[in-house]
Amino acid sequence: MVESSSFAGHMANVILGLVLLLIAFCSIVPMWHVLMASISEGRDLFAKDGLVLLPVGGLNFEGYKLVFSDPSILRSYAVTVFYVVGTAGLGLLLNVLGGYVLSQNSRLKPFFVAMLMFSMMFSGGLIPSYIVNSRLGLVGSPLAIIIPGCTNAMAVIMCMNAFLQVPRETVEAARMDGAGHLPLMFQVMLPQGKGLIMVTVINSALMAWNAWFEASIYLPRQRKWWPLQLLIRDLTAKNQDFLNYANPDYNRYLIQYVVIVIATLPVLLTFPFFQKRLEENMVVGAVKG
Amino acid sequence: MGIKRNKPGISTKALKPDKLSWKEDFRKNGILYLLFLPVLVWEILFHYLPLPGILMAFQDFSISKGLFGSKWVGFEHFVELFTGSGFPLAFRNTVAMAILSLTIGFSASIIFALILTTFPHKRFRRLAQSASYLPNFVSAVVMCSLATEFLSEKGAITMFLSLFGADKQNWLANPDIPVFWLIYTFIGIWQGMGWGSIVYVASISNISGELHEAAAIDGANRFQRIWHVTLPGILPLIVMMWTMNVGIVLKLVGGNILLLYMPQTYDVADVLSTYTYRMSFGGSANYGLSTASGLFQSVLGLILLVTSNKLSKRAAGYSLF
Repeated sequence: MVESSSFAGHMANVILGLVLLLIAFCSIVPMWHVLMASISEGRDLFAKDGLVLLPVGGLNFEGYKLVFSDPSILRSYAVTVFYVVGTAGLGLLLNVLGGYVLSQNSRLKPFFVAMLMFSMMFSGGLIPSYIVNSRLGLVGSPLAIIIPGCTNAMAVIMCMNAFLQVPRETVEAARMDGAGHLPLMFQVMLPQGKGLIMVTVINSALMAWNAWFEASIYLPRQRKWWPLQLLIRDLTAKNQDFLNYANPDYNRYLIQYVVIVIATLPVLLTFPFFQKRLEENMVVGAVKG
Repeated sequence: MGIKRNKPGISTKALKPDKLSWKEDFRKNGILYLLFLPVLVWEILFHYLPLPGILMAFQDFSISKGLFGSKWVGFEHFVELFTGSGFPLAFRNTVAMAILSLTIGFSASIIFALILTTFPHKRFRRLAQSASYLPNFVSAVVMCSLATEFLSEKGAITMFLSLFGADKQNWLANPDIPVFWLIYTFIGIWQGMGWGSIVYVASISNISGELHEAAAIDGANRFQRIWHVTLPGILPLIVMMWTMNVGIVLKLVGGNILLLYMPQTYDVADVLSTYTYRMSFGGSANYGLSTASGLFQSVLGLILLVTSNKLSKRAAGYSLF
């Protein structure tokens, strides 16, 4: 791109640079605030107003000690991992099965596609779904978090597209070698379409990690099956309860910050590895269109 | 969670429709159908079985009598919705926040992409862009508890605003119009601007440099180049993204409100989905009203989606289905 070297051009660059700096600052600072608050002195933090850019009242890891010695929080962490693996795994299985069948020619295929499309556009709503799930015995069961939301029509169709892009010769060659449907699906087509399919897996894992709503409806009283996000919601709402005790332990005020850190850091640390792939996927979808 | 930006383009035309009789088809593809069974069962259980439940919107539903024994009341629940006090407000708030999201919220990503691509220092640009992705990966619960903290009486944003003479207050409890609407819009911008800019940045860098050079030789300054070269270049993408956003706007408006609103702000913060939620669960639950309001929401969503898809097809040659 051609750059003007005039004074006005330089001034414009300085202003644009400052705007970018401000945007970067606003993107990072809320999480930084939480991270610094989580290692602050509880009593000083409680009295502090505004932004926390450095630990208040000196470094203090008592909050982390409290959290890592709390079996209910650790359990919730494990439960969340279980939900993520279960959702992403079951979702992948259904996506691959559905995507494979829809990538083949058959007389029922248009009917299946129409069925998926319709469900993407129109849903029965909250209460009708709740009643069906309750008839299925899912209310109060952790399976309610995994099975109903493990995939969606869009993901199945993305999978179908991934499989349709596999060269026909590859498929024919494998079929000549006598590969049945299952080996064809998992050993030939899945590796070929893995770019697109990985995106659906990452998306569903991220969504499961961040989910709270389903658990709040289907497991309202089953605290031991609460995912981390629902627990965080509860803990931040009650963040001043510790003051009700005769001799309040101000380190308990830190717990809400610590749980946010341990729930968010894993995602922020792993996403750079997937950043390229996710970015590419968005661009392929939009720019080609 | 937005829409996957992949082009589904279901083309049954590409494959040769070698018409088999049903019998032959089942002999040949029986195993395929068997493999589809899990997806079929899942689809039916969780998407099609709830559909008859919509009838509750027209019934005086009681669990003991069931869907086919309950008394029919016609459109009574809808009349109640539109003449009551809660639902019309929720509808107004939905429209207001949808408009804000489709104007200010939507343009934020484009403006950010324009700033990024006109800024000359590559490395700094990449850094700013990466930083802007972070909020997209923060969960709704965490984001809303951050908002609650930053907007509280002692929060950082409240402090900052008080420098300009605003009262120190819990902004999220402020029931004045348009405080909550703006807060909601800016939370959406904070979370989505960076990630949403990816497609625009990619599209802008696809515009040939020659066009820019020619414009520069003709004496066009930076803003004239943006106006006459860049924006026309990405206009089809903008049109497509905007119509797609119109189609899913009811999903965009609502997600986080359950985590942000409180009884003081119900009048300005309630939207269709939160109204349905409160009519479904909790003390004031009313199955008839909740299903009616949910049905209204579904039908409105369907109309928006189909209309926006038609528009997108006509204006940008891109369609979802």
